[in-house]
Amino acid sequence: MSKDFNPRILTFACNWCSYAAADLAGVSRFQYPPNMRIIRVMCSGGINPNYILKAFEKGADGVLISG
Amino acid sequence: MQLSKQQIDYCMECGVCTGSCPVAMELEGFSPRGMIKRTLGEPDGNILQSRDIWACLSCSRCSDRCPVGIDFPRFIRTYRNKARQKGNLPKFSHHGQFHTITAIQAKGVKQDRIGWAKKAGKICEKGDYFYFTGCITYYDVGFKYLDLNMIQSAENNLLLLNKTGIEPVVSNDECCCGHDAFWSGDDDTFSTLAEKNMKTIAAAGAKTVIFGCPEGYSMFREAYTEKFGSLPFEIIHITEFLARELPNADVSFKSKVKKTVTFQDPCRLGRRSGIYDAPRDLISLVPGTDLAEMEHNRENAICCGTTAWMECSSCSKSMQKDRLKEAEAAGARMIITACPKCQIHLTCAKKNTDHNIDIMDLGSFLAENID
Repeated sequence: MSKDFNPRILTFACNWCSYAAADLAGVSRFQYPPNMRIIRVMCSGGINPNYILKAFEKGADGVLISG
Repeated sequence: MQLSKQQIDYCMECGVCTGSCPVAMELEGFSPRGMIKRTLGEPDGNILQSRDIWACLSCSRCSDRCPVGIDFPRFIRTYRNKARQKGNLPKFSHHGQFHTITAIQAKGVKQDRIGWAKKAGKICEKGDYFYFTGCITYYDVGFKYLDLNMIQSAENNLLLLNKTGIEPVVSNDECCCGHDAFWSGDDDTFSTLAEKNMKTIAAAGAKTVIFGCPEGYSMFREAYTEKFGSLPFEIIHITEFLARELPNADVSFKSKVKKTVTFQDPCRLGRRSGIYDAPRDLISLVPGTDLAEMEHNRENAICCGTTAWMECSSCSKSMQKDRLKEAEAAGARMIITACPKCQIHLTCAKKNTDHNIDIMDLGSFLAENID
């Protein structure tokens, strides 16, 4: 894998925990790599397998589910 | 194949199609005859906006019986492509994950499709025989929740092929045959997949392609020949191949438990390909096994309830439960089938009811009873 590889990682973040954490990181002005693209979901239990597969179909290199 | 208006014109409105249709028995207002009539009246009319266009299972009971030979499933399929363009889409089952997997394969993805085969038996990279595994590798992952170990079917098929002295090619570059895309009217995806598969088989230098799944076999038999003309290799379904080769091979069978079994004819193997005897011959190779026929068998067999991972409904469930009841009424303790989807659908129906009958694929049944 080349050093230039910049993966696009799609993140499903739960509204009540990890999204709040990502939000806190934002308001605290923490820097984090821009490879993460966050989609807020109301519950990580509401994610069905096809959301993950669709992400790969549309070109994501990784999918992170956080909840 | 686009049926010409003239071909539909042959319709005598006898209604045998609707009378034969397992969906029409459950779903009020669904009528193949009526749909043909509506199309004759207005060729691009309201059929394209209707939900009925997605309800047909393409099980081919109607076309098998039609006195003028109208292939209703193919007729409805061509309209499905038009309906998609007008924004009338099917309801995909299992969150649409299997259609997405198909789409990913059409785009091109590095697959590990031979990991199982390396463990299960002997394969090679180039050779005269190509074993077309089909999507069972993906179903294996998708149906763990039904306690199905789908990959076992492929492993056992490979074991049996090795017993007949064959080390087939199993390829990482194989793709979905395009069956589900084809029957749900997604012609572009089907074409891409078909071209990829033809290249993969040519690269393997295969003269014979053995199909583990009736859907792949029927697609090559019907749709691939239509698209590419005559194929540069022979195609054969595993049941036919084994029925021809196993009796001469150095392998004998012994029934571990004497039992009565029945056979569920898959639509793609039976009515669409005309293979009824090969699977029955294979079952009869196992001594001590009685084959009891269900009330509806061979060309009258009833579909397992859903096709192409779409439109699973109460109608599907009702058909599946009826099928389980038929098997029990025939006195069978086990339903043997030669199609992974029949196995999945009937197992799913069994899970939600109190029917107590085993459902197994033919390759695994044979492998289990090797002496």
